[in-house]
Amino acid sequence: MIQVTQEERSGWCVVGVRGRADSEAADDLEHALRGAIEMHGKVAADFGALDYISSAGLRAVLQAARAAEERAAEFAVCHLTGGVKKVFEISGMHHLLRIQGELPC
Amino acid sequence: MLDGDVRELRRLAASIESFCRERGLGDDVAFDLNLALEELFVNAVKHGGCRGMESAARVRLELVEGGVAVEIADRGAPFDPTAAPAPDLGTPLAARAAGGLGIHLVRQVMRDVRYARTGGWNRVTMRRHL
Repeated sequence: MIQVTQEERSGWCVVGVRGRADSEAADDLEHALRGAIEMHGKVAADFGALDYISSAGLRAVLQAARAAEERAAEFAVCHLTGGVKKVFEISGMHHLLRIQGELPC
Repeated sequence: MLDGDVRELRRLAASIESFCRERGLGDDVAFDLNLALEELFVNAVKHGGCRGMESAARVRLELVEGGVAVEIADRGAPFDPTAAPAPDLGTPLAARAAGGLGIHLVRQVMRDVRYARTGGWNRVTMRRHL
């Protein structure tokens, strides 16, 4: 289960995601990220409060990144910690996504 | 026992959490157990024909010398995760296929992953080193 917040900050739409991005929550995650990407040219996913992610959650993030690519929108994944950070690393996501420690705004 | 429904992940996560808490195992261990078991369970539900099946899978965790011994068995179609090809992590975003990643994650966080097919069950045993 995830909780999602959204706020605008100096030209960026920051999507804060909290909780567990598992197979059950993956559709909600993809929906939230894609929704932001459809409305904004710059979207930052703040995963600082995300406790867990599986391949289903990663796929949701990849789908969002793909949507951003198609719309020529900027999409950054920020504040990865602990196990979530490890999952992104061992999946090779740093080759595919813009991953950064801090929010861009 | 887990039914063939992705919503069973809540129950699975809760039992992993209490297993780890009772034995003083850290969040990193709980994370890896969740990850490996979710990937294999969801695979059986989505691709192994376990969706909607009662008592489709069973999970056993045991603290042993040097690690946690993990077993997951499901009544789905035969599937050997140790024989699945590794995903190509170098392909561009648009070309990347959806599958394969989950099994890759299992292999990354677990050791001694073994598979057997016995009596209509897929049985995967593996170990999370401590």
